[in-house]
Amino acid sequence: MPVTMTKGAFAKAGTSLAFKTGTWRSARPVHVHAAAPCHRACPAGEDQQAWLARMQEGRPREAWESLVAANPLPAVTGRVCPHPCESACNRGKLDAPIAIHALERWLGDEAIRNGWTYPIPTGQPRKERVAVVGAGPAGLSAAYHLVRRHYNVVLFDSMPEAGGLLRSAIPPTRLPRDVLDKELSRLLALGIEFRPRTALGRDVSLDELRNEFDAVFLGVGAGKSRHWDVDGAVPADLHEGLHLLKEWLQVGALPMPKAVAIHGGGNTAVDLARVMKRAGVPEVHLITASGLPGPDTEPDDVLNVVPREFEQAVEEGVKFYPHRTINRLIMRGSKVVGVEMVRLKKLPGANGRKTRVAFEGTETVLHVDMVVPAIGEVVDPAGVEALLHGKDYFPADRFGRLDGQAGIFVGGDARAWVKGYPNGTVTAAVGDGRRAAEAIDAFLSGRAPVEEERPPIPYEALNLAYYEPSTRIELPTLALERRNDSDEIEGGPTAAQAAAEADRCFSCGNCLACDNCWTLCPDNAVIKTVETASDGSHYVFDLEYCKGCGLCAHECPCGFIAMEAEAE
Amino acid sequence: MTETTDLRAKQPRFRGLEAGHRACQGCGEALAARLVTEAAGPDVILTNATGCLEVFSTAWPQSAWRVPWLHSLFENSAAIASGVEAALKAQGRRTKVIAQGGDGGTFDIGFQALSGMLERMHNVLYVCYDNEAYMNTGIQRSSSTPHAAMTTTSPPGKARMGKRHMKKDLLSIIAAHHIPYAASASVAYPQDLRRKVRRAMEIDGPTFLLVHSPCPLGWGHDGTLTIEVARLAVQTGLFPLVELERGEVASVMPLRRPVPVAEYLQRQTRFRHLFADGDHRAREEREHLQALADYNIERYGLMGDGDDPFDSEGADTIRRGGPART
Ligand SMILES: Cc1cc2nc3c(=O)[nH]c(=O)nc-3n(C[C@H](O)[C@H](O)[C@H](O)COP(=O)(O)OP(=O)(O)OC[C@H]3O[C@@H](n4cnc5c(N)ncnc54)[C@H](O)[C@@H]3O)c2cc1C
Ligand SMILES: Cc1ncc(C[n+]2csc(CCOP(=O)(O)OP(=O)(O)O)c2C)c(N)n1
Ligand code: SF4
Ligand code: SF4
Ligand code: SF4
Ligand code: SF4
Ligand SMILES: [Mg+2]
Repeated sequence: MPVTMTKGAFAKAGTSLAFKTGTWRSARPVHVHAAAPCHRACPAGEDQQAWLARMQEGRPREAWESLVAANPLPAVTGRVCPHPCESACNRGKLDAPIAIHALERWLGDEAIRNGWTYPIPTGQPRKERVAVVGAGPAGLSAAYHLVRRHYNVVLFDSMPEAGGLLRSAIPPTRLPRDVLDKELSRLLALGIEFRPRTALGRDVSLDELRNEFDAVFLGVGAGKSRHWDVDGAVPADLHEGLHLLKEWLQVGALPMPKAVAIHGGGNTAVDLARVMKRAGVPEVHLITASGLPGPDTEPDDVLNVVPREFEQAVEEGVKFYPHRTINRLIMRGSKVVGVEMVRLKKLPGANGRKTRVAFEGTETVLHVDMVVPAIGEVVDPAGVEALLHGKDYFPADRFGRLDGQAGIFVGGDARAWVKGYPNGTVTAAVGDGRRAAEAIDAFLSGRAPVEEERPPIPYEALNLAYYEPSTRIELPTLALERRNDSDEIEGGPTAAQAAAEADRCFSCGNCLACDNCWTLCPDNAVIKTVETASDGSHYVFDLEYCKGCGLCAHECPCGFIAMEAEAE
Repeated sequence: MTETTDLRAKQPRFRGLEAGHRACQGCGEALAARLVTEAAGPDVILTNATGCLEVFSTAWPQSAWRVPWLHSLFENSAAIASGVEAALKAQGRRTKVIAQGGDGGTFDIGFQALSGMLERMHNVLYVCYDNEAYMNTGIQRSSSTPHAAMTTTSPPGKARMGKRHMKKDLLSIIAAHHIPYAASASVAYPQDLRRKVRRAMEIDGPTFLLVHSPCPLGWGHDGTLTIEVARLAVQTGLFPLVELERGEVASVMPLRRPVPVAEYLQRQTRFRHLFADGDHRAREEREHLQALADYNIERYGLMGDGDDPFDSEGADTIRRGGPART
């Protein structure tokens, strides 16, 4: 600005602007869009901070749109995801984590109730065709993200309806089928060509798919129960846990022993135990090598279910035997009359790797007339033998790429474990589908796939002086005596509860337009460009005057400002 | 003209003290004056005693002020404000006069001019930017310097541990003038500060505001920590935020959780000698300062009962879109 200096005993107002105090600076403030820990922990890749921000602005539809940019199934995952995001949530270090799953569920339900349609980014239609095999969460997510990228998608499943284990195994008490139907029908209506009752290996071959399509995604899940025996012994009438659950869901049949021992520490074991107990089996025992949820249990050693599932199972009368395995089947003829259990623990061995060590002298006996293994599933090799090479799972990388198999991609339960990308959950399958869509797009466009990786922001980087303690919402739970085999047990939040809960979010690592920097800069070097701001795009550092004191960075509640050393 | 020049002009707030001033990095006094003049608005005339604020804002031939501003001497900010106010009154104008001074210019050398201005009931808001020493001339102790603080004229040594005497209880003396409104405020609580400025501006008569304004140079803390240090002064009880109407305590900012004074002292090198190993006086003086804080808490009834949205924890709470409470 041209400054006119006035001769005489006074100066014109604001003429100090001619003096650029920015030259004093040795470090400059910069805005850093760090990742919130919730985002980093979400297997589906949601940016919870971003959608919670829209909630805080009172714009739930935009919140949902932001959410479904990563995860098309919020009404589902809001109900069944073990929410590692909440375990990572910074707010947990102050009082209690944001009830992210409850808000996700609320948004999903709102979208269904109001008929909101998935926003599809604009772009050129692609001529390439992609086959997606398996309409479980992995395949559905891959198909959805490919449609968002304007590919032609044909979705195959051997079953008559889409959903995978969401439909065939997860009890409706946790995932009501009308919710599932509504969420999936909207998704399929996006222009995905769905071919049900079409099995790879039976109705169509891998080679046919390769010829007809430009890329193939395999989201076939793990549909074959792992082999189980105790020192070679198996009861004559052996039924695997997943099979029993599926049968119960399809035809309503459930065995009624006097006492059952279920062997396993995951969702199948716990869901089956609860279903059997609620159906009237007098004694339901669950034997697991894992520990129970609690502060003393190490994360890699805990029962692999949402903690509230465990608590509700205990409420319902399921008996848990943690850190134990079945040592021996006690048989009368070919019939089971009991099991011998022994205590064990996962302990580091000579090479540092953890292995299970059984403790001699801790054997105890349970009298049961039925034993059900629920120790996990592997990929059914039918139709995919050529890719599986006798392995239990496909050895794909995090983008789902298979070595030496250009154009074939894998995700969800069917993929082998990749460090940093654990699978075995619905959200992990959704994340796999999203990453695979990126990899397929990259493959068909002749580029390398990319994934956004922002640095995470720790609790210590926040300024807690600006937040107040608050209580997390309590969700309604169906009373014990009212639980049956169909009504949903856990309820969702009310609109008012959802809004209040969203307001608790710190907005970790991303500006929440609190005005602190603008209010507190002694040098008027933070410029605000609009009257009512809601994010960081409305604040500008005026480096002509900023002296680099760092005060704004220190007083930014959410750690959005960092000081960066100036070049010498 | 740069891009930011244009944006600067379009900002949705009035600026009384513009950028380009020469205050140190993180200066609490510059921030306080910025906040006071923003809250007061453009229809004002300012006077200023000699001191940092006067010097850093008006390096000849420039001025950082965007409102009329007069400086004469160290000792007479209140006196010239009285004169300006009388002249405006004679002209029938309602422009508000704000007199400004540092703690030296207010507690010490300008004290009788201030007392006279209050006694004559001039329609002036007097703002004292309290950085607890004569900073502009090199950190000499004033009657506002807290007990035991190190300044260049109260060095810790064999004879004593920093300043021998207590911080002068200026607010009580102001209260004795029976003026309509007086208050203490802090840069750490800008919403509270603005509210107090607006309240004072509405009153036709003499009003007084004491604004605690950390000086990174004189207190010995990083410019980054100005707000944190100011906040701790309030949260410990060492600098109570109170409002007086006609000399009576009308309201206080309650403390939700009093913070031990050591938290405040530790962050400033002016109190470094109070943490010297092997000197029994260090502990004694820390306990003394804690006792002074406890005395304030008791005297002003600072202990809140339960969480209060306007207490020392709640008053600076933010939400998306701005302060939670304004
Ligand atoms: C009882 C139970 C409870 C669970 N509870 C939870 C929970 O609470 N939370 C959670 O996050 N996860 C839970 N899980 C795990 C979760 O369901 C799975 O991780 C997830 O469904 C995996 O998704 P996917 O798409 O990889 O496979 P799937 O859901 O198994 O879907 C695979 C699909 O591929 C189809 N398919 C298979 N082979 C072929 C073929 N050859 N040709 C055509 N189609 C084929 C199948 O019909 C199926 O529809 C649970 C699992 C079980 C068994
Ligand atoms: C009569 C007189 N004595 C001494 C001075 C020198 N002098 C100028 S500013 C100042 C100290 C100002 O201290 P304070 O009022 O606390 O303001 P600060 O600089 O700390 O903001 C002194 C001693 C002077 N200008 N006039
Ligand atoms: S406070 Fe909000 S942004 Fe931070 S981790 Fe929790 S949900 Fe994510
Ligand atoms: S508070 Fe102002 S002067 Fe200090 S670093 Fe931030 S923008 Fe720069
Ligand atoms: S201080 Fe507030 S307004 Fe400024 S960047 Fe941080 S969150 Fe945004
Ligand atoms: S010496 Fe202190 S009061 Fe003076 S300009 Fe520097 S920081 Fe501000
Ligand atoms: Mg001073």
